[in-house]
Amino acid sequence: MDRIPPPSTELLHGTLDALILKTLAGGRLHGYAIAQVIEAATGEAIVVEEGSLYPALYRMERKGWIEAEWGVSESGRRAKFYRLTPRGRRQLAVQTAEWARFSAAISRVLLAT
Amino acid sequence: MTFFNRVFWRPDVDDEVDEELAFHVEMRTRELVARGMSFDAARREAERRLGDRARIRATLHRLGTGRNRYMRRTQYLSELRQDIVFAMRQLLKNPGFAAIAVLTLALGIGGTTAIFSAVYAVVLRPIPLFEPERLFVVGESFQGLPSSMSVGNYVDANAGVTAFEGLAAEQFANFNLSDAGSAERVIGGRVTANYFDVLGAQPLAGRVFTADEDSPGRDLVVVLSHRLWVRRFGGRPIVGTSIRINGRNSVVTGVMTAAFDLTSDGEELWVPIAFTPERKAMHDEHYLSVYGRLARGVSTQQALQQLESVAARLRHDFPRDAGELHYSMQSFREQFVGSYRSRLFILLGAVGLVLLIACGNVANLLLARGAARGREIAVRTALGAGRGRIVRQLLTESAVLALTAAAAGLVLAHWFITGVVAASPPGVPRLEQARVDPVALGFALAIAIACSVLCGLAPALRLARREIQTGLREGGRGSTRGGFRDRLRASLIAAEVALSLLLLVGAGLLIRSALALQQVNPGFDPHGVLSARVALPQTSYGDPAHARDTFQRLADDVANAPGVTHSAVASYAAMGPGGGSNGLLTEDAGAFDLRKLIQSQLRIITPDFFAAMRIPIVKGRGFTADDRRGGLKVMIVSETLAARAFPGQNPIGKRIGCCEQGSDGAPSYKVVVGVAGDVRSRGPATRPNPEFYLPLTQAPDAAWDWIGRTMYVVARTDGDPQALAPPLRAALARIDPDLPLFDVRQMDQRLTATLATARFNTLLLSLLGAVGLLLAASGIYGVIAYFVSQRTQEIGVRIALGASSADVVRLVLREAMRPVALGAAVGVAAALGASRLLSSQLFNVSPTDPLTIAAVVITLVAVALVASVIPARRAAAVDPTRALQWE
Repeated sequence: MDRIPPPSTELLHGTLDALILKTLAGGRLHGYAIAQVIEAATGEAIVVEEGSLYPALYRMERKGWIEAEWGVSESGRRAKFYRLTPRGRRQLAVQTAEWARFSAAISRVLLAT
Repeated sequence: MTFFNRVFWRPDVDDEVDEELAFHVEMRTRELVARGMSFDAARREAERRLGDRARIRATLHRLGTGRNRYMRRTQYLSELRQDIVFAMRQLLKNPGFAAIAVLTLALGIGGTTAIFSAVYAVVLRPIPLFEPERLFVVGESFQGLPSSMSVGNYVDANAGVTAFEGLAAEQFANFNLSDAGSAERVIGGRVTANYFDVLGAQPLAGRVFTADEDSPGRDLVVVLSHRLWVRRFGGRPIVGTSIRINGRNSVVTGVMTAAFDLTSDGEELWVPIAFTPERKAMHDEHYLSVYGRLARGVSTQQALQQLESVAARLRHDFPRDAGELHYSMQSFREQFVGSYRSRLFILLGAVGLVLLIACGNVANLLLARGAARGREIAVRTALGAGRGRIVRQLLTESAVLALTAAAAGLVLAHWFITGVVAASPPGVPRLEQARVDPVALGFALAIAIACSVLCGLAPALRLARREIQTGLREGGRGSTRGGFRDRLRASLIAAEVALSLLLLVGAGLLIRSALALQQVNPGFDPHGVLSARVALPQTSYGDPAHARDTFQRLADDVANAPGVTHSAVASYAAMGPGGGSNGLLTEDAGAFDLRKLIQSQLRIITPDFFAAMRIPIVKGRGFTADDRRGGLKVMIVSETLAARAFPGQNPIGKRIGCCEQGSDGAPSYKVVVGVAGDVRSRGPATRPNPEFYLPLTQAPDAAWDWIGRTMYVVARTDGDPQALAPPLRAALARIDPDLPLFDVRQMDQRLTATLATARFNTLLLSLLGAVGLLLAASGIYGVIAYFVSQRTQEIGVRIALGASSADVVRLVLREAMRPVALGAAVGVAAALGASRLLSSQLFNVSPTDPLTIAAVVITLVAVALVASVIPARRAAAVDPTRALQWE
């Protein structure tokens, strides 16, 4: 690794899943758009690497959190779109709550004066 | 892969990955170009950001494949659930069809499962002993015939052989239990101290014998079976206490486990056999059952070689007693299961045939229903269901059918097993342990699955193959190939006929044997005779004269009992346990030569035995009161013995040496004074053995040990034989109140009992044959009725054109009989090949008995005719105008 890894992926495993789920909660998106939305939303603080994004998508599809279908992209090209399933929506709620608990706990330690 | 792609509309994983990644790179490139990069530079940057493309591809391929597999499984399960729900709805929608199909299969599955659980209990279930595969029964063979072992031969084999961890000997014996008030007779074994070790059994409580206790004088100890302990002593603590056996107090050292009660009629107690030094030197008198546990890593062959070298030495050392000695080995399991293995497997085969016929009938029902569902299937196919999917759905239906039938079949199996166990002949080892257990459950499930494929596959394939258009156009009424040219249905008929013919030939042969057995003259008249046994304990009747006098008194007392016309005591009567044989040497044979010995069954009797049994004296005279001890030694021989010993000569007055030695070591000769008719002593199916009779008064002293001081009392009456039991008991009680009169049975009951196994098999096979015939008949009826209904229109045309109703009936019958004839031909061929399996159970009937086969063929054809006549007459009654309006 000659590059400093983006803090998020290294920092917390599973956070990427939550970010993807959150992103998809707004509607169906293809892989590239998911990366774009996450990067834009975090002010490019988090760069989503293809090497992490796609495996994460495939895994979540296997778990039934998201489902994929082929459609036509905004540019008129065939693209694979992902969409949240009801199970994925529940998972998002669970992960969001967990994250809230977790970050509050970390904050209490790190930001304590 | 391609198949699934088509079914699930999923592109290949590699294509999917490549396209997705390419799209990603393209979008990134576009973005970079939009930010002002040149296209080439943007392209390179996008590729760079993607990183190691090959690795990502590999990862995604692996994940994608796993995902697809998982989703396929999920989809399969959800479809299965749909199919099952649909199948159940279908069955509920046609309760009549469902009930008939389920019942037919349940009958087959239940019957097969019941017989299987019997096979499992008797033959397949492991024997509950330590490593039973190393256990062998070691015997002797004399002139090629198996025999029990003499003490000397046992002791020498045990000492001279290392191939066994141990050789244990057992002498089966009856014991009088006389504590706690009631005298009782139980079967037990006198055993060597290592007996339990060799069999590999541990006591439940206490201990087994020590080697020290297995010696004369210290042997007043006993080990109880679990059954006896529970039955007679209520399972209370008993180790260390004394019980009264054969009039002496013996200390109970241990109680065996319930698992050691291998059969329900085995030994109930064991005492040390305690050989005396004199006994150990006896190479004559063969009465031991010997068990050997093969040492690890030793082959049967090596053990036999070691035994043979001992035998060679004994043959050399004791030419007189062991001159023809060879040892033999048989696996314990083989000995234990005996002939029941083949009998049970034949029954299993027969019930399997019934199951196949049942499957044929259900297949036929499914075919008929499939025809009615043509439209439904066509619609589903038109809506995109593939052929595989349709077949799967139809097979699920037959599986639901078969599994429902299996559930019902298990209930039936439980009843069948209860019936079989209750009706079975006594002595089938472990049969009483047969039950619907997890093994039987697994078996029923397995055959249910097999049945569902067997009877569901052909109809399902046929339905799925049908052209969509045909199905839609025909409106679900007809079938693509109507009428009699329906090969599948015709071959179903042929198969059912062939199978039931096979069954019926088997049943027929057994019935013929049973009839032949009833014609056999056993050599005596069993009606009106009561028989019972009396055993004198050695402890108080050790003196031969005392034993002789006691039995003589008993004979005299019984003769005077009310209702008795003739009576006797005899060391062996007929059709029961007991008895023994001796080697006879005629005076004419000259010097002693083992090969000239005629092994003959001994009966020590009182004079009235022949009158009581109604055994004819065909030559000379019977015994009289004048044949006294100290007088001329006399003997009566059976016809078979006379023919063997004195071929073509008059046996009266000839001399035969046997049973004891004269004072000077010379043979003790007896003069033949009479020839008695042959008796089939072991049952009507057996050949008469050479037999000889000695008067009680002249019984050799040693004979009391041979026969265990046990004799039969036989008494004939003009009234009810059972009424003689109380006076017989009273007579015995006057002589010794401690002695039980046991094994009290009418002679004709003993005769019937010898045929119990054969009769049981005949009954079961006949029952199965009848069920098979019934099923086949209903199958034939169903198919022919279907044929006729399919051709109503054509028949209508024929009638309109002038065909008489006789013509129509003939037409239908001719077409119906074609597959029946084919099936009969196949069945006869199969029966000729398979009936040899039955030959060991046949008596005076050839396995290919033409009469039986002809009778069965005629029966079957007649039944098939009747089954087809009903629909044929219906066809003849078709109203042509109605028939023609059908379209």
